[in-house]
Amino acid sequence: MKAITNVFRAREMPVFLALVVVVGIAGIANPAFLSAAGAIDILLGVAIVAILAVGQTFVIVMRHIDLSVGSLIGFTSFIIGDLYAQGYGLWGGLAAALGVGLIVGAANGFLVAYLKLPSLVVTLGALYIVRGVFNDYAFGRTITAAMVPPEVAWIGLNRLGGIPYLFLIGLALVIVSGLVMRRVKAARDLYAIGSNPAAAELAGIPVARRVFGAFVLNGAITGLAGAVMLGRFNAANANSGLALELLVIAACVVGGVTIAGGSGSVWGAFLGAILLQAITRTIGALGIPQFWQQAFNGGLIILAIAFDKYLNSRVKTTTIMGSQND
Amino acid sequence: MIRWNLTWDKGVGLFLIFAVLLGSLLSDNFANASNLSFVLRDVTEFAIIALAMTFLIISGEIDLSVASTLNLSSASLGFLYRAGVPFEVAIVGGLLVGLACGLFNGWLVTKLGLPSLAVTIATLALYRGLSYALLGNQPVNELPEFWIGIGYGRIPGTFLPWSTILLVVLAAVAWFVLHHTRYGRWTFAIGVNAEAAKFSGIPVQRTKLMLFAMTGLMSGVAGVVYTLRFASASPDGAVGYELSIIAAVLFGGVSIAGGIGTMWGVIAAVLSLGVIRSALQLAGFTANSLLIVSGGLLLISVIAPKVTETLRNRTRAESKDNTKKTIREVGNE
Repeated sequence: MKAITNVFRAREMPVFLALVVVVGIAGIANPAFLSAAGAIDILLGVAIVAILAVGQTFVIVMRHIDLSVGSLIGFTSFIIGDLYAQGYGLWGGLAAALGVGLIVGAANGFLVAYLKLPSLVVTLGALYIVRGVFNDYAFGRTITAAMVPPEVAWIGLNRLGGIPYLFLIGLALVIVSGLVMRRVKAARDLYAIGSNPAAAELAGIPVARRVFGAFVLNGAITGLAGAVMLGRFNAANANSGLALELLVIAACVVGGVTIAGGSGSVWGAFLGAILLQAITRTIGALGIPQFWQQAFNGGLIILAIAFDKYLNSRVKTTTIMGSQND
Repeated sequence: MIRWNLTWDKGVGLFLIFAVLLGSLLSDNFANASNLSFVLRDVTEFAIIALAMTFLIISGEIDLSVASTLNLSSASLGFLYRAGVPFEVAIVGGLLVGLACGLFNGWLVTKLGLPSLAVTIATLALYRGLSYALLGNQPVNELPEFWIGIGYGRIPGTFLPWSTILLVVLAAVAWFVLHHTRYGRWTFAIGVNAEAAKFSGIPVQRTKLMLFAMTGLMSGVAGVVYTLRFASASPDGAVGYELSIIAAVLFGGVSIAGGIGTMWGVIAAVLSLGVIRSALQLAGFTANSLLIVSGGLLLISVIAPKVTETLRNRTRAESKDNTKKTIREVGNE
């Protein structure tokens, strides 16, 4: 019984209910929406943002932010295709993608954790630098379908029991991360750091090492997610992943991962990503011109954070990163 | 030991001079009237918004929706004009839309107490979406000749575009208000410690609301300038400007933690980035180098003060005078 009430009291419940309502409305208005093809369309479209939102959750619960993910995933998706075309094979490309992700994550993490620089500024700098290096590396070239490793293309196209593999990859990631975030002490520390960094330090948590680790982990996830992006689009160019970071953060915020840190879960972020995608599709299904899509997304994010504020109405002052308890 | 007080904003000023010299050395085409006019024109919208963003970041808030506001203001102008409204009235309409966008951000932040980073990511999407909803896929290109001439032309006898007058006036006002009026002092006080500011009788929420409204209005002004410069109002203009503007403000020495910054630093930073971009382009570098340079400068702007601070603290510790905290440290807490 307790388990059931816990399910209904979970932070993620409102997001899930919103998702049910949205899909319900769309399904009534346009039955084709509920068809297998319609659902697969959503699941396929959501994979990339959902995976990045999981990685971003590690960072946001610590009251930090990583804006460099859009540039990074674009870069690694390009690298995987490029190295395959040059004969290094799939594994060579994946290793390089992971390496680049680790380097960028470690650089961000070092500057934020050990030099105590603001993550917003550091990762904004990284956004530009990675994009610049990426564009220099790509230099007008594009990755065409022929340059995509066949395994990656296969994963992008095929399904297991009707569910796209790309979505299953995201689902596997969220299940593992969800367990880690609940059970592993180092991951629980991230919440403590986000709730109150000074108190976490006093409680004996190695704050710098945890912050560093979370940025490295997010970098690694983002780097490998380049393969998912390449599989999804079967192509890449110098603009791949442009402006994706804000969509990822929006998914986290909608999913109840508070910008102020200390609360939210990878499941919430995952559902947030699906909800944003479902709304996009619903707008189409309802016959509303696609032009309204972004406006709806924006309105939804405002509702989500206002709702979150209502749930946490004890907090008083605000900073750009959100509310802080006095 | 020689003491020379090189603050970050002065450093950026020196960097601007260095950038201009470098540009002149790299290319003969840099320091001519038409290129300088181009550089100025290219940074005007950034600069106008950066003036207001400086206040906002010093007060400890942020606005990521400025580029979408700029574009919604431009789209509204175009929409009104296409609907038959006289162009001058449409301009006023565009400015009012900008103001309304800023007020809405400010209302969400100050009245509902929502975090500005999340709020303005939301309104970034919302305002952009409304631009699309207003104009659909059809940009408005048929603007009055006279106004296009203003956007395109130069002040007679000089290489300066007309918008430079506007920029100089706005920059002078922004500088004066930030550094020489109580509103400026309030802005700093709120950024250092909003709670303390409240207890000293500063109307914190009202001031913040004003700052958001001003940022919206300035984005609206930039939207009008943008429309005239490109002689077009389209739904997809100015995408991604927000991060460039914030990067320029931070490079200008404004602390993201609030409470620190100067108007001169920001103005020098915006001009420097414009000059560097032009110099690199003329020297045959690609746009990629500019991205790397922008990101690098941004990182240096946060690393350098940290390093000097650490060094200073070390010498101070030696002289047993480590009780005083710098404003930056207080602001970070």
